[in-house]
Parts: sequence; C-alpha cells; structure tokens
Amino acid sequence: MSSRHLKISFIAFVFVCAALYATLRFTARAQVDEARVGAQAPAFTATDSRGQTVSLNEFRGKFVVLEWHNQGCPYTRKHYVSGNMQALQKEWTAKGVEWFTVISSAPGEQGYVTDSEENAYLAKMHADPTAALLDPDGKVGRLYGAKTTPEMYVIDPEGRLIYEGAIDNRPTPDVEDIKGADNYVSDALSEAMAGKAVATAYTRPYGCSVKYRD
Amino acid sequence: MKQLGGIGSGKLEVSMICRSRLAVRSLPFALVLLLMLAVSLPAQTAKSYADVAHLHVQLVVPQSELYPGGPNSAGLYFKLEPGWHVYWQNAGDSGEPPRINWILPEGITASPLQFPAPKRLPLGPLMDFGYEDEVLFPFSFDVSKSARPGLAILDAKVSWLVCREVCIPGKAELGMRLMVAASAPASPTTSSADEDLWKRGIGLLPAPLPTADKALFAVTPTGFRLGVTTGRRETTAVFFPEDQNIIDNPSPQKLSPTKDGLVLELKKDTNLQANPAQLKGVLELSSGRNYELTALPGTVAAPPPAPTVSAAQIFRAAGLAFLGGMLLNLMPCVFPVLFLKGLALVQSGAEERHRLRAHGLVYTAGILVSFWLLVGVLLTLRAAGASLGWGFQFQSPIFLMLMAGLLFFLGLSLAGQFEIGLSLTSTGGSLIGKQGYAGSFFTGVLAVIVATPCTAPFMGAALGYALGAPVAVTFAVFTALALGLAAPYLALTLQPAWTRFLPRPGAWMEVLKQAVSVPIFMTVIWLAWVLATAYGAAALAALLSGFLLLAIAGWFLGRWPAKRWATVVAVLIVASVVGLAVYGQKLAGEAAPATAGTAGSSQSAGSAAWQPWSADQVQKSLAAGQPVFVDFTASWCLSCQVNERVALRQPEVMNAFAAKNVILLKADWTRHDEAITQALTALGRDGVPAYALYVPGETSPRLLPEVLTPGVVLDAINSLPATRSPAQTSNGQ
Repeated sequence: MSSRHLKISFIAFVFVCAALYATLRFTARAQVDEARVGAQAPAFTATDSRGQTVSLNEFRGKFVVLEWHNQGCPYTRKHYVSGNMQALQKEWTAKGVEWFTVISSAPGEQGYVTDSEENAYLAKMHADPTAALLDPDGKVGRLYGAKTTPEMYVIDPEGRLIYEGAIDNRPTPDVEDIKGADNYVSDALSEAMAGKAVATAYTRPYGCSVKYRD
Repeated sequence: MKQLGGIGSGKLEVSMICRSRLAVRSLPFALVLLLMLAVSLPAQTAKSYADVAHLHVQLVVPQSELYPGGPNSAGLYFKLEPGWHVYWQNAGDSGEPPRINWILPEGITASPLQFPAPKRLPLGPLMDFGYEDEVLFPFSFDVSKSARPGLAILDAKVSWLVCREVCIPGKAELGMRLMVAASAPASPTTSSADEDLWKRGIGLLPAPLPTADKALFAVTPTGFRLGVTTGRRETTAVFFPEDQNIIDNPSPQKLSPTKDGLVLELKKDTNLQANPAQLKGVLELSSGRNYELTALPGTVAAPPPAPTVSAAQIFRAAGLAFLGGMLLNLMPCVFPVLFLKGLALVQSGAEERHRLRAHGLVYTAGILVSFWLLVGVLLTLRAAGASLGWGFQFQSPIFLMLMAGLLFFLGLSLAGQFEIGLSLTSTGGSLIGKQGYAGSFFTGVLAVIVATPCTAPFMGAALGYALGAPVAVTFAVFTALALGLAAPYLALTLQPAWTRFLPRPGAWMEVLKQAVSVPIFMTVIWLAWVLATAYGAAALAALLSGFLLLAIAGWFLGRWPAKRWATVVAVLIVASVVGLAVYGQKLAGEAAPATAGTAGSSQSAGSAAWQPWSADQVQKSLAAGQPVFVDFTASWCLSCQVNERVALRQPEVMNAFAAKNVILLKADWTRHDEAITQALTALGRDGVPAYALYVPGETSPRLLPEVLTPGVVLDAINSLPATRSPAQTSNGQ
C-alpha cells in the first residue's frame, strides 16, 4: 500500500465514473423540439433542387405547406398520377401559399433523387410547388416527425403549425378514391384564410414510411 | 398487381342487381336467370388463393359445409416472403391493415377480421406494428335460417399493403364455393390443411384479460403509466394501442415489473390534445401470452425512479452521498469508533506516519468492501424476490442482539474494564504494529455497520434513488458514500502534516476514551429499546443475560490480562452469547404475534389519532374524499422518533390535521413488512423516515422532507384544498 496504489484506485474510480457518464450520454436520446400542432413550427434551412437555400423564417407572413414526397411510393403516385397534387399546388400557390415538396429519402433508399432527377420529375409531372427541398439526411423530416409520404403540414403566417397529417380521408393507394375525398389540406387552408379555427388539425398520416437512413 | 377472377366478380355484381329486381319482375324470368347463373358461375368463380408480389394470400375455411348456428370459422391467411410484412389493425406510424369486402349470398354475412397480436417493426425513427412470415386473420360466417341450402358462392375483394423497405399495395379477388346445409351435418367433414392453418392462427389471437386481472392507467406529464395486475411478476411486456395518435409509437416502453404484474411507461403522441377516457389495446407478455385490455383511469403507483437517469442526476446523487458519508463521521453511532482511530493518529510518532498511510488505505478498503457487500447482499436478496429496504438488517432480531452485544463489550473496554486490541494504552511503543492491518480493516467494517441506521436523515432520497437505479449507478453512489465516510481519516493519514492541528497526546486521552463509552452505552440502550418494542420482554431478557455474560468475559480479560486461558474463557463466553442471541431470535419469533402492531413510540398521549397503515385504508379514505397522511417509521430509526416528537405530535400540528380532516396512518417498518416495503418503493424511497400526504384527486402523493419541523408539516397541511367532508371530528376525541 502506498500513495501509488491510491492514485491507481483514484484513477480507476474516475475512469468508471467517466465511462458511466459516457454511456448515459450516449443512450439518452437527443430530444429536439418536435413539431406540435398549435405550437410554433420548428425553423429549418434546406437546399432546393435548383440549389437555392430555403429558410422557413423567410416566409413569415405567408401560409406554408410542406408535402413529404417519395416518387416511388404508391400513395404518393396516387396523387401525382391523378394530377391531384399538382392541382392543389397550382390552386394554393396562386392564392399566395408557399408550397414545399420535401424529400427525406436517404441515398440508396426509395425516393432518393438528385437535383437534376427531381427537376426532370417536376417537369414530367407538371408539378408546380414553390420548391422541392432535398433532405437526404432526414434533418427536416425528423425535426417535423414526418412519418409517411404523403404527409402534409400547414403553417400559418404567424409561423404556427395549424395542420399535420394525412392529405385526405381515404387512406388507399387507389386513384378512384380521390374523387369525393375530404382534402384536409384544402380544408385547413380555407378555414385559416377565412379567419376560422382549423376544425381538423391533426390526423394520422397515411402512406409509405419515410425512407430515412437507419 | 395481379388481379384474379375479375370476370367472375363482374358476373356476380350482375346477379346482385338481378336479385334486387326479383320482386318486381316475373318469377319465371328470374328463375331462368338464376339457372343461367348457377350454370355459368361455378366455372368462373375466383380461386380461394392468390400468389402475388411478395406474398401468398388465401381464404381458409376448415369446414366443408356452412350451416345456421355452426361455428362457420374461417380466416384470411398471408404467407410472406422473408423481410416483408403486413400490418395490424393499428399499423403504427405508417402502413395500412388488410381489408376485405365480401359479396355474399343472401342470408350469409361475414364478421370483421380479427387481428392476432402483432410485432413491433422498427423502421429508422419510425415504428410500425405488423406481422412477418405468416399470419391468419380469423373471422366467421354467420348463416341465417333464411339462407338457401345448396351451393353458395362467397366472393371477397381483399386489399393490403405489404412493405419491406418499400411498400407495395396489393389486391386480389378471392372466392370459394361452399355447401350451405339447413342444419348441422351428422358427421362434419373438414379440410385438414385448412384446419391446421386455422388452428395455428386462432391460437395467436389475444385473449380477453382474465377477470381477476386489472388494468388501470394514470396520466403522467409525458404520457401514460399503464399498470396491469396479472398475479405474477411480469418481466417482459409490450403494449400495442388500438387507437392511433394516442401513443408515440417508437418510444421505448419502460417496463417496471411489480410483485403481481407490471407498470409500463408510455409516451404520448406529441399532438394528443385530450387524454383518452380509456386505453385500449393488446398487451404481449412472456411465453406468448397476449391479452386484449381496456385500461380505465386510476391510480398507478410510480415505479421507483430508474434507468432513465441523467448523468447530472448521478453526479448529484454521488456528490450528496460523498458529503453524507463525511457527515456520518459525526454521527453518535460512528463517532466513537472513529475517535479511537483519531487517538491512534495523535499518539503515533513521526517515524510511524508512513505506515499510517497504509492503515488509512486499509481502513478505506474495509469501508468500501463492507458497503459493497451490504449493497450486493441487498440487491441479491431483492433479485431473489425478497422486498427489503435500507437498514433491513435492523429488522432482524439476531442482528440487533449481536450489534447491541458488540457495542456493550466495546463500551466495557472503553470504560476501562479490560484492554482489547482496539485499545490505546499499550506499554509497548508501537500501537499500530499491535493493532495490525486487520484491525484497521475491521474498524472500517464496524464503522459501516454502525453507520447504516444513521444514514437515513440526509441520505434517504439518495439511497432510495441509488437502490432503484441500475447496478452500476448503485455501486457508484455507494462507493461515493464509502469514500466520504473514509475521507476525513484518510486525509489525515495521507497528509501527516495536518496532524499538527490535532492536540498533543497526554493523560486527557485516557479520560476522553472512558468518556466515549457513554455514547456507546447510549447506543446500546437504544438498540435494547428497539428490540424490546419490536420483539417483547422475552427477547429483552435474553439480551440482558447476554450483557451479563459479556461483562463476566470482560472481567476475565481484565483480571488476568496476559493469560491465555483467560482469553479462551472469554471467547467461550462470547460464543455462548452468540448462542443466546440465536435462541433470543426464537423467543422473538414466538413473541411476535402477541406484540405486533404497536412498536415505536407506542400509545403516548395524542397518538390515539394514528391508525395502523394499510394500502386499503389509504384508498378507502381517498375514495371518501379525505386526505391521508402516512408516517413511515421504525423504532430503530432515530430520526423517525425525533420527527414524531418534534413535529408530528405537536399540538398545533395535530390540530391542523384535525381541522382538515386528515386521516393519520402509521406504517411501522420496525419489522420486515412486505406491504410497507412496496409502498415505500412506490414512493421512490428505500427506507424510513418517509412522509406522504395523499390528496383526493391527485394521482401521486406529496412527499415531505425527511427532516420535519412543525412549519414544514403545517405548510403541507395548509396547502390542502378545503375539506369537503361534513363529518368534522373534534380533536382528541
């Protein structure tokens, strides 16, 4: 027994504590401020398919729609093949709404696209969003807790999230189900623009899971 | 997607239209049409199965005939390619359950699909609920008396979503031709292949929760705490919510097994606005048990705070433990022991101080090892199912007796009756050499043993936290506590320069040594009192007899200090004391039922208002709208007695309790009590004292600090809502 032994045992103790601390830090899940209906929509910055930087804060004062997108997903295809999504984009951007298509598929996963692939897709489908945001690392998707494609978010001019969920009330991949469906996004935008409260502010989104990196 | 049997289904829709016109058209026309259909349809009916992308789907009907009142069981069966899955009724974050639409002859209807218990299917940050490999969704046909006997065409449009990394929606039209009988056939025939499939599937359906079992949920700040009583300790459980958008699916469900069931912490969906009136879903338990349950709102005791601890919490607890350990040195139970060590330091010469260092380390090791041993034993016993708390050793009469005997013997020695190894006044120069490293080690051990009952006042929360935490955390906290206890002495031995601040040795040391025997004897009196209150006069008599024998042993040692035979006699006597202690425990065991209940400060004035605690009593009073105050105490817990005297039994406090109509319950933990241990655990505590104020309408009780003053208690009472009970009892009656 000597002070050397003491030093060794002290160092060992410190080491154990450090290891414990590291383990706990590692396992504690990073809790970001998640998007919640009625609360301020989390701010984000992303790059669109034309290489422009888009920041949510620039659009304060306008309604913003976020549309989670995966061109390979049958549920997304339902709304593009039928022209339903393009019609919604045209209708609402004409009324001053900023419409962002967000692609959170990770490289190698279904729906992942490069800038030029996405631009070609937009042209081919005659889609007309304000911009298509590429989010291959899933940063925006996780920030908003986007689960499916197509999942929709509506943000009001004050920056509050006023709708989150499904695009409509027919959770099928069938084109024939679009006619007569109750479109929640249009409902939310119409009600909010008329100064009314959004009646259906949150629904379970339907569709394919967002293809995040594991 | 392949579509099968499209033509057949088209015909069938025609037939439906025709049948609806049956009433208005002429009968012969209808008959001709029906005949045409009967001839044309069988050939074109869809097959009962389809092999499509990534799966095989099939209608399964074990019976060859359907009949009114029959079980008419059936199922929709999926066989999936590896890695692919279909979904449960609540698919989770994405996905859709399979759907089936029937086109059935008149008089026959099909029940909705039933869903077997699913699996959690993690998908990056998302969580789906579904099935891999194979699954059968059972349903049944209901055949009414009006159903036409003979061949029946049963057509179904089935749709599903099958996913691996990508999702593919699928559809198939499946059909069956089955004979409908007017009544149950004499000898029912079955298709054995279908029957096997069906039987395999039906076994996986969740059963209703047995009526003896209970499911309740409480709302917590982050979500819901689901408590299920199944009559046994449940170590694995997963809850699948039937309703969507209630629970955050990917969040881990933290399971805390309880003695007769489990508690699951569920995180709520961030967007959940109003809490549900009930929590419905499927609970999967170990060995394939699945239950369908509907949990109603209720009180679910919080499990002890555990794994989800932050590093900051651990460091706070460890820091608190270290400080607490240092303070323990000043406790009346520990101080005398350490005092001896201190005197040794004072007396040691400069040339011995390097050896002192080694003694300091050995002493620290003694403390560490005994703390680890104590915690290890406690955790092992707990893992084996015993519910024990901190200070549990004081619930054993044999421990009490041996402890009291040891301290009594030590007291005799200090008072000067005889010299033992721990003594200082040796004629030889080197005390340390005489005492040896073993002596240092066991001084450490002794310090821990006598320190445990003193840990409660400022350590209760930290110990409760530590004992409920993961093992690594528990040991970190107790290591900090041990180091804290060892720190002052260790510091002195490591830095001999500091001993300059200690007084010079002299005759005063002998006087002080004898004076120290006084607190030792006081501790002995306390232990004797604990034993007597808990185990009765017989145990006390045994203890006192032991004291007499020890005194005689001490006399032998003191009268003939250098003689070997005297030591032998003393050892024999001490051994007989140990025997007496064991015998005393037997006595205590026999006396136990007679003296149960009123331990502690028994029936002093003002204690009439206190009733014995029981979980039922708490619930009953709360249900009646009365607040309940519970005093968790034990007679071996000194700070409990102090709190009772200083705060709880004060007239103004008692008056305030009466004014608010508070039911006063006393949970006496002097002896081992399973129910009280559980109640303490539920409060996140691991020992006494603990004070809990249960308020009607509040899900969790309010905890008071471990050191009470009248002001603290009065504040708690005054914060109670005005009493609603008209039955105001006058104080003291």
